[in-house]
Amino acid sequence: MIQIQTDRDEKQAKRLSLHLAMSVREIFDRLALEQNRPEAMAPFDTLFKKFAEAPDEILPSRPVKKVGLYCVTVPEELVYAAGALPVRLCAGSTDAAEAGEALFPDVSCPLVKAAVGFTRTGALGFYRGCDLVVIPATCDWKVKLGDLLSRHVPVLMLNVPKHKTTETARLFWYDEIRRLCRALEKLTKTRITRGRLRASISLIHEAQAEFRRFQELRADDLCLISGRDAVEVANAWFYMDAASWTGHVRCLNEELAKRKQRGLGVMPKSAPRVLLTGSPVIFPNWKIPVLIEDSGGALVCDELCSSGRLLWDMASIDEPLYDDMFDALADRSLMPCTCPVFTDATDRRVKLLRMIRDYRVEGVVHHVLKGCHPYDMELRPLEAELAAAGVSQLKIETDYSPEDTEPLRTRIEAFIETLKGRRLKMGGAL
Amino acid sequence: MRIDRIRLIVQAFCFVFLIYGGILGFSIGNAVPTMACIYAEDRGGACFLYPFQRFMSLPLSTLIGATILPFLIYLGTFFLWGLVFGKAFCGWICPLGFLQDLLTRARQFLGIDGARFRWASRERFQWVKYALLALLILIPMGIGNSLGGLPKLSGDWAVPFCQICPGKPLLPLFSGDTSHLLIDFSSPVKLALTSLLMFLTGVFLIGGFVKRRWFCLYCPMAALLSLFDRIGFVGLKKKGEACTRCGNCYRACPMEIREIADERDRKHMVTQDCILCMRCVEVCPENKALSATLLGFPVFSASAAGFLKRQGCAPPLPIEDFPHDSNSN
Repeated sequence: MIQIQTDRDEKQAKRLSLHLAMSVREIFDRLALEQNRPEAMAPFDTLFKKFAEAPDEILPSRPVKKVGLYCVTVPEELVYAAGALPVRLCAGSTDAAEAGEALFPDVSCPLVKAAVGFTRTGALGFYRGCDLVVIPATCDWKVKLGDLLSRHVPVLMLNVPKHKTTETARLFWYDEIRRLCRALEKLTKTRITRGRLRASISLIHEAQAEFRRFQELRADDLCLISGRDAVEVANAWFYMDAASWTGHVRCLNEELAKRKQRGLGVMPKSAPRVLLTGSPVIFPNWKIPVLIEDSGGALVCDELCSSGRLLWDMASIDEPLYDDMFDALADRSLMPCTCPVFTDATDRRVKLLRMIRDYRVEGVVHHVLKGCHPYDMELRPLEAELAAAGVSQLKIETDYSPEDTEPLRTRIEAFIETLKGRRLKMGGAL
Repeated sequence: MRIDRIRLIVQAFCFVFLIYGGILGFSIGNAVPTMACIYAEDRGGACFLYPFQRFMSLPLSTLIGATILPFLIYLGTFFLWGLVFGKAFCGWICPLGFLQDLLTRARQFLGIDGARFRWASRERFQWVKYALLALLILIPMGIGNSLGGLPKLSGDWAVPFCQICPGKPLLPLFSGDTSHLLIDFSSPVKLALTSLLMFLTGVFLIGGFVKRRWFCLYCPMAALLSLFDRIGFVGLKKKGEACTRCGNCYRACPMEIREIADERDRKHMVTQDCILCMRCVEVCPENKALSATLLGFPVFSASAAGFLKRQGCAPPLPIEDFPHDSNSN
């Protein structure tokens, strides 16, 4: 019986690797035809091509402990301070989602299904190879994910307070972060000292500085970089070492700054500026950004935990002391997080309105993954509030599978046409 | 340069001026709304509260009769000081505030973590400064007048707040005067007041070491200066739509003012306990979310680039002109 099980698993793993490689190649075959892409995207392309060609070489080969993370609410600074390497495991592969499907109800989050698919089959080695997987109990799916994964890897669950404005929530989270710290110390047998904390906060600050500069360049009228490439850059953070990611993004920013001087954008100025918000967009599921830009929209910014929100919020060291730095990390990972699992939706609304103004956005696309209930729940009041502020919106409910691509394309094209029409009506030039 | 370094230098300068200015013959008067102790021999200016309590202890008929003009001039001077500098006195000038900041620096140097109030405890103590303010008016009035038919208080109650202010024994020490470090047994009232003073001085030193600006929460001068929170020349403004409520400002605030992080719809952020130290503006990573203002014009605003610089991370290119044009659309 067990033998049969393993045989089936092995078969499934092989099939998954094959399908993953096919979809990755498809993406990069298309990218190869594209002209006018920034050259500094090359290191990111190389990284993601490895998903097809050399899955074992995706992570840096340093002989350190690897700590798998889910969600943005785990401060990566702590992992670096413990001398380990953080790997964000949130997955975007439709084939992996299929491989994990058997364990889930009909309508369930594809991200979690894919993560389980990768872990069960072992098609991507690092899903099982992590020395510890940290899962914050954010949405219902993540709450149950730990149990499914703990059969394959050591799992540490973090309690996340959902009503975060109270004192009890803050103190509780401070303690959870300290618990994580102790677990990491035990794992790497390295004491997280003040100096190490400070250094790792600086490491992330440097990445965040480049990230903010990147976002600022994206806000330019010229559309210096396509939204899909921006998602690629952000997704690369999942798997890259912080220092090398920062280096690559610095090169990219410099190239974009030069392009700005030369007036070289990747989209015509007539392209309506679109903001993408909602459920995460993770490689290789770049369906929505690609569809928006194929339809003639310029994806100038996103409010996604997988890209735009990924490195935005910065921890501030007030006193360079142990307690203060821990609290700073706890605060930065919880307080400004606009994930809809938290009770208060005003932060997200305020942030969206601010982004709409700062990036001169003309239309908002709400991305809801089927089964991603928190975003779905928050959508109706949010839509009403944005509509009251005069924002054009499109709601897309989909999953990772490419089956609905064509109907989606029709809807997105129509939306972009509406935005163009609106710009004409407002007296703008195309 | 970081604002808190500039502030430390300004504080040190003010401290030297207020404690030793008299040696060179400088004086900025006796109506300065800050804890520049009247008992310091070589002072270059003195606390408003001492003469104020003296005025209040005059019989009411004298106060609104013969001395009304000096009293009004005196109040007017205080009003001008308050209007121009307001709570900046607390954060930038006050010698007792400076001493507490030095204690905090010493603690940080030793690498000892500080303490914070629980929210409930902090709120529980907020009435103390108003009670002290009421007492420092009522007790002196009870010396010169018989309040509500009660017998007049004895002269031992004179300047009651100064009798229990930790500035009285501590600040004269800097000009070598140890004469206020004592417990006075000459009368029961004096015994009680000086004992209380010695106790509070100890609490001031220990508390100031453990928790930032711990005594400022009880300062009646802060209650008085709160009159100028809305109308003062120096202000602190918040732009709610730029705030992510990340809580950096609240964590950095020495007075632990929660409104600064949690309230998004409020524009004027100088609250009753604010000392205008501008630390919140320094640690805010969102462009223009917080601004220090002078006569309503922003003079120092939060920015991502400034934040990173102050945190010791210099971005290779400036990122401060973002958003480029906040008024379009």
